Order: sequence, then structure tokens, then C-alpha cells
Amino acid sequence: MTVIGAIGIGPFDTAWLAAALVLTTPILLAAIGELISERAGVLNVGLEGFMLAGAFFSYLVAWKAHNLAAGAAAGVAAGIVFAVIMGLLTIEAKADQIVSGVGINLAATGLTSYLFDQVFGNRAQIVVPTIGPLRIPLVSKIPDFGPALFNNDWTLYLGFLLIPIVWFLLYRTKWGLAVRGAGELPAAVDTAGVSVRRVRWMGVLSAGGLAGLGGANLAIVQVGIFHQEMTAGRGFLALVAVIFGRWRPLGVLGACLALGGADALQLRLADQNQVPTQVWGVLAAIAAALAIYYLARSRQGRQRPAALSLAGGVAASGVILAVLAPHIDLPDQLWRSLPFLLALVVLAGAITRAHMPSKLTIPYSRGES
Amino acid sequence: MSRARARLAGGGTDFVLSVCVAMAALLVAMIFVVAAGVSFSRGASAFVDGAFGSQLNLAGTLAKMVPLTLVALGWIVVFKAGRFHVGFPGQILIGGLLVSVVALKIHLPAGIHLPLTILAGAVGGALFAGIAAWLWAKRGVNEILSTLLLNLVAVQILAWWVRGPFHDKTTPLPLTAPLPNTSRWPELLVNTDLHWDIVLVPVVAGAISFLLARTLFGFRTRLVGAGEQVARHAGISPEGVGTRAILLSGALAGLAGASLVIAGSTAPMGEDFGSNYGFTGIAVALLARNSPIASIPAALLFAALEQGGGVMEGTVGISSSLVDFIQGLMIVLVLAATTILYLLRRRHRASRGAGPRKQPAPKPELEPVR
Repeated sequence: MTVIGAIGIGPFDTAWLAAALVLTTPILLAAIGELISERAGVLNVGLEGFMLAGAFFSYLVAWKAHNLAAGAAAGVAAGIVFAVIMGLLTIEAKADQIVSGVGINLAATGLTSYLFDQVFGNRAQIVVPTIGPLRIPLVSKIPDFGPALFNNDWTLYLGFLLIPIVWFLLYRTKWGLAVRGAGELPAAVDTAGVSVRRVRWMGVLSAGGLAGLGGANLAIVQVGIFHQEMTAGRGFLALVAVIFGRWRPLGVLGACLALGGADALQLRLADQNQVPTQVWGVLAAIAAALAIYYLARSRQGRQRPAALSLAGGVAASGVILAVLAPHIDLPDQLWRSLPFLLALVVLAGAITRAHMPSKLTIPYSRGES
Repeated sequence: MSRARARLAGGGTDFVLSVCVAMAALLVAMIFVVAAGVSFSRGASAFVDGAFGSQLNLAGTLAKMVPLTLVALGWIVVFKAGRFHVGFPGQILIGGLLVSVVALKIHLPAGIHLPLTILAGAVGGALFAGIAAWLWAKRGVNEILSTLLLNLVAVQILAWWVRGPFHDKTTPLPLTAPLPNTSRWPELLVNTDLHWDIVLVPVVAGAISFLLARTLFGFRTRLVGAGEQVARHAGISPEGVGTRAILLSGALAGLAGASLVIAGSTAPMGEDFGSNYGFTGIAVALLARNSPIASIPAALLFAALEQGGGVMEGTVGISSSLVDFIQGLMIVLVLAATTILYLLRRRHRASRGAGPRKQPAPKPELEPVR
């Protein structure tokens, strides 16, 4: 790890890249599961609860059994247990998905905090060993980027590998067609002889299992400890990433990378009291690329003046800020609320809502269409 | 006649259902307590003592009823309008934020300052709810998603507020300066948490009950909640009614935030006064089966859990986090029990031969909570 950090523009060096990937992983894992679930029509507000349960039980089992694989399995299992409750309530009993999710979040927060107090309350914090990196031969020898990209733990590789896998499953298999159908036109899925209940169950259980693994990643990959409410809103960030990603695997990957990258940047800038000019420069470059992309698309007849002008405006102001390099001390809280604010803006755009599964949060009963 | 009886029977089942759910949740809590090595009788007496045992504890329980009841009423209003927003935590916080502005920046005698401060809380909650309402009515953004996000934004706004513009420089802690006494609810019982804001519980519950049952606004709200198409055909705008319902519920949550700030035990405002009240209030409304009046006893139960659980941590060493778990469990149990009952009734009706095809099915007294 000592060699990396040699190249890059300002704070955007390979150390930042490595940190960004690590911070992306828990959100990415949870978001992929949630993507499948939402495409099938079930919104898991309880994602945060699934993650928290995964974090706590992976830590507990890793400590008790001295076995990290068992810990990871326990994290997945804990997420699935809470997902089963979610499924029973929303798919079987057709209760409201949001209220169920709120209940699950409260219950998971309370249960993990309570058990943590009871089991570890009067001990010093115990640090369990963490799941170590899995060096991929050859490619990890690439100077600078090799160690940052290919010397990570298996949960990280799994998260990134799942994106093409889920894309293939969703768009190239019968199963994926059923999943997408269950979120758009469940009656059609039913008519085709595929059980909507079963498809939605698979979605919810994927969300639970992967969010549980995401929680396990936080507890027994990143730090080796658990503390109460340690997920700190990452479950909600995963929900945001699915919205940002417009309910598509590649979009979700991009959204998660943006969230993880921003988080890593914020960590790197925490000890500096001025935003480096490179940050503005990179922001301008990304926005300019987006503007060019929209411009090219509009030539093909797909007009998006609002998005185009927004990207252009951001690019211009990025350039101005990079040149002027003003002494701006942005409050930490603005950084933290930025993803949520941007998600609201994205939601308010008509194009995003066109991508939202139209039967999201709506229970399906045969004969009531 | 028979309809009146059916309604009465429906209310009876609602009551039995809620009591059963509460008992089941308390039973689970006791199992956890016994599993932690505390005997049943000791745990139960510690809880009852913590919630009602002394003047101080009873006052604490009653004080916690206020925000719970107000949030529950806010949920009931939007529930009747068919708009299930979950923005109460954020609206509580922004209500509190506006309270701190009026309390600290305006100097007035108590008789004017207090009403103005309370009003600021309600306005803050309504304004923050207004963002979600606007996004829903004008941009078609699902109010559940937007309020979930706005809650997270509100947490950050408050964290910044008590560290930045309104930070009391004399303390390193994220707190505002102490709010002056002229802006605070007067104490009802000296040296306890019980303030005069407890009068809001019966007054606002009665007002909301009346509003929903007896006024044109209430009628329109219920009509929109029952079916948007019907309301539209009757010339009622679901957007207008929905927006007003969301604003009203935001005002109620803001009022709860005001109570938490200016009727709390500490004079300065921190960043975490909202605690879990925003979500627990929904649980209260669910347990009350969305009846404004029944939300008072339901809030009493949740407040007792909160207060008793908090005291138990000190007396018998049971972590008070157990209370959060039980509250979440209560939501899950209410949802499950309601549906099971609904399905049982449908089966019962079907077996009696009153098939829905021969005659229009009677409206079920109990519908699944949506």
C-alpha cells in the first residue's frame, strides 16, 4: 500500500481510487439486491435494517466462531431473516410496503442495539480479524492501479461482478423478464403462468441477502468491529442509488461509484480547509462530458434541453471555480446531504419517473389487476 | 340499525386486535427480559414502577405522550387522504429549528412569545412538508420517496444549524444557546418533564377528530382517500386536498417538534431531540387503528414503554434499546394481525354463502392497512 498514491491529479490519486472502491462496496451490494426487488415491484425501506442486522450478526458469529466465512454467511442469513418478515407482510399479507419497512428498520435498530448492549455492553470493544485482500495474480502487478483495483477482498469483487450478471439475468433471461413484468404489469406475468408472488419473493430475498452481505462488509471486512447504528444511512444511500441509476444495473453501478467516490473525497479533504482546484476541474470535466453526451443525443432527435443546460451550467461554474480557486469552506453537512438533494432533483425530472417500475409498492392480487 | 351494530362490532374487534397486539409485544419484551437473567416479577415491577411508579416517572410518561400523539394525528390525517408520507422525523426537526429562531432572535413578554414560538414550530413543519407536497402535486414525485430523502436532509440541516449559525460559542457541544423562559411551555408539575403542552393531547385529538368527521375538509379528505376518481368526478381536486392534508400533518409534526424543544428537560436545543418520535408516532396511529381519539391511549402505551424502558436500564440493567425493538415489532404485529383478521373474515363470509357475485359484497369493516 505504500507505493500507491504516486500518481493522479490532486486528491484524485490511486489511494483515493482504492478508498472509493472500498466505500462503494457495501452500498453497491445492497443496491443490487434492491434493484432486483424494486424491478419486481417491492420497495424495501427496511434496507437499512437488513444491513444493520447483517453487520451485527456477521460480527457476532465471526467473534464467537472465530470464523470469518461463517460470519459472512451469518450476515447474509440475518438479512434474509428480516427480508422474510418483509415478504410475509407485503407479499403474503399485502400490507403497506413503506409502513412495513419502517417497522423493520425500527425493529432491526432496536434488536441489534439491544443485543450489542447485552452481549458486549460491559466489555472493552473487541476487534475481530477482518476478511483480508485476495490478490489477483498478474493484474495486481500493474504499477499504481494494480494494487488499488486487484488487491481487495472477495465481497468487493462480488459486488462489481454482480453488475454484469444481474444485467444479463434481467435483460437476457426468462427469469429477468418475469421480474421486470412483476413490477410493470403483474397481471401479464400471471397470465403467462409465472407466479408473481414467487418472483417478488425472490426479489425481496435477494435484497435481504445482499444487504446483509453489505452490512457484513462494513463490520468484518472494513473495520472488524460493530457499533450501534453503524450503517449510518448507507441503506438509504443504496435506495437513492437505485433511483439515481434509474432502475438499471449500469446506472446503479455509476450511482454507487459516485457516492463512494464522493465519500472517499470527503474523507481525503476532511483535514484541508479549502477545496482543491482539481476538484472543481474534475467536476467541470464530468459535467462537460455529460453536456456533450446530451448534445450528441439531441442531434439524434432526443431533446433534453433541461439536462443539457444543467450539465452545461455545472461545467461552466466548475471551470470558473477552478480558475478563481475561492476560499470556500463548505460545511461537512452539505456534502453529506448532497446525494439526497440530488436524488430529489433527479426524481423531480420526468424522465426518471418514466423508468420507475409502475407497480412499485403496489401489491398484486389476482383478479383485481 | 344493523349497520350501527356492525360498526360497533367493528370498533370492538379493532379494540380487541390492538389489545392483543400490545399484549403479544409486551410478552416478547418479557421473554427478552427473562432471557437476560432478570426474573419476570422483578422485570414487570421495574417497568411499571419506571413508567408510573413515582410522580417523576409518571410525569415523564405523560410528557412523552405529547409528541407521540401529535405525530400519530398527523399520520391519521394523511392516511385518510390516501397520502402515506413518512416525513415526520424531518418535519419535527425543521419545526424545532424554526422554534429556535423565534425563541432566540425575538424578545417578547411570555404571553406573546410562547404562542409565537409554538406557531413557528407548526409553520416549520408545514413548510418542510410543503416541499414534499409540492413535489408530489406539481412534479408527480412519490411522496414516500421524497419524504424519506427529506428526513435525511433535515438531519444534516440540524447538525449544521447547531454547529454553525446557532451554535452557542460557550460550549464545545453541538447545542444552541439556552432558549429563554418566555418562549418555553410553563411547567405543570414543578421539577418534572411535564409541561402545559399536555393540554394539546386532548385538544388537538378532539379537533382532528371533529375536522375529519364533521367538516367539509374532512369529508373531502376521506372521499379522496377512498378513491381519487370518485373525488375527481365530484369536482374535488385530489391534488388540492392531498396538499392540504400533507401540510396539516407537517404542522402537527412541527408542533411535536416544538414541544420537544420548548417543553423538554434542557434549555438549549441539540440536534437529536427528534429521537425516534417521527416513526414511533406512525406505530401509535397503527395501534389506534387510525382513530384520532384512540391514539391517546395508544400514545400512553408507547410513552410508558419509552419511559419505563429508560428507567429499567438503570434499575435492572436491561438496555433501553429493547424498547425500539418492541416498537418496531408492534408495527409488524399490527400489520400482520390486521391482515389475518381480514382474510379470516373473508373466508367466513364466503363460507356463509354470501358470495360477492350474487350481491355486492358488504364493505369489510376492516381493511388491510395500506
